[in-house]
Amino acid sequence: MNDLSQAHNFLIYAWWFALGFSFLMYIMLDGADLGAGVFSLFVHDHQERGAIMATMAGTWDANETWLVVAGGILFGTFPMVYGSAFHYLMLPLIIVLLSIMMRAVSLEFRHLSQRTQWLWDGLFGVASLTTLFFAGMAMGAVLQGYPLTGGQVPTYPGGMLRFVSAFSVWTGIGAVIAASLAGSLFIRARFERTEAIRVRAAVWVDRTFYLALAAVVVTGIWSLAIFEWVRAKWLGPYFWIWLLLAIVVVLATFQMRRATRKERDLAAILWLNAAIAIMWLSMMFTMLPWIVPNTWTVQAAASPAVSLVTFTLAMGSFLPVMLAYNWYQIWVFRARINKLTGYGH
Amino acid sequence: MDPLAILLTRLDFAWVTSLHFLYPPLTIGLSALLFVSEWRWLATNDEGWYRLVRFFEKLFIINFGAGVATGVTMEMAFGILYGPFSQAAGPFFGVVLGYETITAFMYEAGFIGLMVFGWGKISRGMHLFATFNVMLSSTLSAFWIMDANSWMQTPTGVELRNGVFHVTDWWAAIFNPNFIYGFPHMWIAALELALFFVIGVAAWFVLKGRQVALFRRALQYALLAAVVITPLQIYLGDALGHVVGETQPAALAAMEGHYQTYDADGTINTAWTIIGWPNDAANTMDWAISIPHALSLIETYSWNGKVPGLDQFKPENRPPVWVPFYSFRVMVAIGFFLFGVALWGAYLMWRGRLSATTIAGNRWFLRILVFSAFLPYLAIWTGWWTREVGRQPWLVDGMMRVSEGVSRMTVFEAALWLGAFFVFELLVWYFTWYFLAKVLRAGPDMDSPVVTGGDELLGHLENAPDSDEDEPAYVRP
Ligand code: HDD
Ligand code: HEM
Ligand code: HEM
Repeated sequence: MNDLSQAHNFLIYAWWFALGFSFLMYIMLDGADLGAGVFSLFVHDHQERGAIMATMAGTWDANETWLVVAGGILFGTFPMVYGSAFHYLMLPLIIVLLSIMMRAVSLEFRHLSQRTQWLWDGLFGVASLTTLFFAGMAMGAVLQGYPLTGGQVPTYPGGMLRFVSAFSVWTGIGAVIAASLAGSLFIRARFERTEAIRVRAAVWVDRTFYLALAAVVVTGIWSLAIFEWVRAKWLGPYFWIWLLLAIVVVLATFQMRRATRKERDLAAILWLNAAIAIMWLSMMFTMLPWIVPNTWTVQAAASPAVSLVTFTLAMGSFLPVMLAYNWYQIWVFRARINKLTGYGH
Repeated sequence: MDPLAILLTRLDFAWVTSLHFLYPPLTIGLSALLFVSEWRWLATNDEGWYRLVRFFEKLFIINFGAGVATGVTMEMAFGILYGPFSQAAGPFFGVVLGYETITAFMYEAGFIGLMVFGWGKISRGMHLFATFNVMLSSTLSAFWIMDANSWMQTPTGVELRNGVFHVTDWWAAIFNPNFIYGFPHMWIAALELALFFVIGVAAWFVLKGRQVALFRRALQYALLAAVVITPLQIYLGDALGHVVGETQPAALAAMEGHYQTYDADGTINTAWTIIGWPNDAANTMDWAISIPHALSLIETYSWNGKVPGLDQFKPENRPPVWVPFYSFRVMVAIGFFLFGVALWGAYLMWRGRLSATTIAGNRWFLRILVFSAFLPYLAIWTGWWTREVGRQPWLVDGMMRVSEGVSRMTVFEAALWLGAFFVFELLVWYFTWYFLAKVLRAGPDMDSPVVTGGDELLGHLENAPDSDEDEPAYVRP
C-alpha cells in the first residue's frame, strides 16, 4: 500500500480519529456508569442500590453502543487490527464481554424480580469492576504491541496469555480508579440533593481524586521508561506541546474539584471529561504513526481505498446525528431521582 | 493447525450465533407488529390496542435485552475466532458490518430507550415515531447482516489480490444473487415468528380464560396476517432454493441428499429423497424413501432434468450431508405445517367459531396454536444450519476455505471459549424464559390510567444549589 493518494491518506486519518473518538465517547459515557457500579458494591442500602441502577435506566445501552460502534469502525476501516488484535486480546475481551453482558442482564432483570434482587445487585457491581479492570489491562496490552506472522496477510501467531504484564495489570488498576471517580461524580449529579447517598459519594470523590492523580503520574512515568515511542515524542523537539497539555489537564482537574465543592455537579463532570479527553487524544497522537505501537501503522492497517471512500460517504454525516441524539436522550432523562425511584417501564 | 482445534472453533462460532439468533427475529417481527398496533391506537383511540401494545412491549424489551447481550459477543467473535478471515475479507465484510453497527445498532439503541422509557414523557406522536424507528432500524440491521452472510455464499463483486478481498463492484457485492431472496426470506421469517409468538401468547390467555376479549382481537388479526405470510414464506424459500441450486450446486446436493447424478443404468437420477440415512463414505443414501422425478420437477421444472449430485464434486469440496439434509426437511415441514394452521384458523373464523363467545370452545385448536409458537424458532435454527453447513468446506464460497480463515487457536483455547459461552448463553436463555414467563403470568395491566404523554414534568439538568425552585420528584409514568 505505497501508492496512497492524498485523499486516501486524509480519509484514513479521519477514520483513525473517528475510531479514537468513539472509544473516548464510550469511556466518558459508560465509564461513569461502570464507576457507579463499583460504588454500588460499597452501598449497603438495598433501595439505594436499586436506585443507582435506575439512574442509568434510559441511557446505559445507548452509552454502550459507542463501544459497538468503535468495534464496527475498527472492523470496517482497520480490519488488519481487528483480525489480529482481537485474537491477542482474546481472554480480556471475553471477560469484558461476559461482564458487560452480566451488567446488561442485571440491569434489565433486577427490577423484574423480587427474591433474586440481591443476586442482580451483586452481579452488577462485580461485573462493573471486572469490566473496568480487564478493559484497562487490554488497553495497556495494546500499548505494548504484539508479534505478527509473516506472509501476505500478517496475523497473530497465537497465544492467549501474552497480554499479561506488570504494566497491563497496572493499567487495569488505573482504569478502576479513574472510573470510580467518574462514577461518584455521576451519583452526585443524578440524585436529588437531599439524598444521603450524595454525601457518601462526596467522600469517594475526595479519595479517588488523589488516587487518580497519582495513577496518571505513575502511568506517565512508567510509559516513558519502557516505551521508546513515548520518549521520542514527549522528550523530543516538541516537548513543550506535551508539557502544555499536561498543565491543561492539571488545571481541568482542579476546576473539577472546585465545582464539586460548590455543588455544581454537572460542571464537575464536564471538567473531568475534559481532562480525560485531552489525555486520551494526547495518547493517540503520541502513538502516531502507529495504531498499535510497533505492530501496525495506521496506514498499513487500513482497508484499501475504495472501501474507505464508500464508508466515509455513507457514515460521515452519521456521527454528528448520533451525538445530537445522545444529547436529546440525556435531556429527556435529566431529572434527578431519589432512592425510591423504580427502574421505570 | 490441529483439526480438532478447527472443529472446536467452528462449534464455538455456531454456538454463539445460534444462541444469539433466538432473539433478533422476535425483535424485528414484533417491532413491526407493535408499530401497527400503536398506530391503530392513535387512529382509533381504542384502549384495547393500547393495552396490547403495553403488554407485548414488556415481552419485547426482555427479549431485546437478551438480544443485545448475546449480540455484542458476535461482533468480537469474528475477530477472535476468524481473525485471518476478518483481515482478508475486511474490505467488504468489515465495511458491511460497520454499516450495520452504525446505522442499525446505534440508531436502534437510541430509539429503544425512548420507546420503553419515554411513555408519558414524550407525546403520543413522538412515541409512535420512536416505535417506527425501532422497526426500521432492526430491519436495517437484518439487511446488513444478511448481506454479509449472503456474500459469503455468493461472493460477487470482489477480487482476491495478495490474499485480500478487494471490492471491484460495490453494487454487485451488496446485491449478490443469494441476498435477493435471502433477505426477504429472513425478514418474512422474523414476521412469521412474531405472528406465531403473538398467536401463541393470545391462545394461552384464551385457554386460561383471562382477558379473552382483548386477546381474541390479537389472535384474530395475527391469524389473518399469517394466512398471507405463511404461503409467501414458502414461495420465498422455494425461490431461495433455486438460487442455491444455481450458485452453490454442492450445497443443494447436500440439502437434498442427492449423491449420484446418474442411476446405475446410466439414466439421470431424478428422484427426490423424502427421508433416508446419508452415507457419506459410500456416497449414497441408504434406506432411502424417494419419489421418482420429483427432484427434477422441483429444481428444473422438467420431468427428467439433470441435477448435479455430490459425485460431481471433488471429495475435498463436498459438504457433509447429515445436517443440511435433515435441517432442511425440518424447516420445510414446519413451513407447511404453519400454513396449514393459518388456513385452519381462517376456516374457523369464517364459520364464526372464533367470536368472543365461541372461541374458548376450540380447545384443541388453541393448544396447537400455543405449540406452533415454538416452531418458527426451530425453523429459523434449522434454516441457518442448512445454510452454514451446506457452504462447507468453504468460508467464502469457492474463494476461501474454513481452514484458511480460522485463528490459530489451540484446542485448549477453543475449548475454553466453548465452556465459557456454553454456560453464559444458557444462563441468558434461562433467565429470558423465566422473566418472559413471569410477565405472561402477571398478564396485561388493565387498570393503570392510559398514558397520553407529553405532560410529565422533566425537571432541570442543573439549577443553582441555593435556588428556591423545587426539585421535582421523579414521577413514574
Ligand atoms: C419461520 C422460519 C422459516 C420457515 C417457515 C421457512 N424458512 Fe427457509 N430459512 C429460514 C427460515 C424459515 C431462515 C432461518 O431465515 C433462513 C436461513 C438463512 C436465510 O436466508 O433464511 C432459511 C433458509 C432457507 C434456504 C437457504 C439455504 C441455503 O442458503 O443453503 C432455503 C432453500 C429455504 N430456507 C427454503 C425454505 C422452504 C422451501 C420453506 C417452506 C416450505 C422454508 N424455507 C420455510
Ligand atoms: C444467526 C443465524 C446464524 C446461525 C444459526 C449460524 C450458524 C452457523 C453454524 C452452525 C456454523 C458452523 C458451520 C460449520 O462449521 O459446519 C456457522 C459458521 C459460520 N457462520 Fe454462521 N450462522 C448464522 C448467521 C451468520 C451470519 C449472519 C454470518 C455472517 C455475517 C455468519 C458467518 C459465519 C461464519 C464466518 C462461520 C464460520 C465458518 C464456517 O465454519 O463455515 N453466520 N454459522
Ligand atoms: C441474520 C443474522 C442476524 C440478524 C438479522 C441480526 C439482527 C440483530 C438485531 C435486530 C439486533 C438487535 C437486538 C435484538 O434484536 O435483540 C441484534 C443484536 C446484535 N447483533 Fe445480531 N443479528 C444477526 C446475527 C448477528 C451476527 C452474525 C453478528 C456479528 C457481527 C451480530 C451482531 C450483533 C450485535 C453486536 C448486536 C448488539 C447490538 C446492540 O448493542 O444493539 N448479529 N442483531
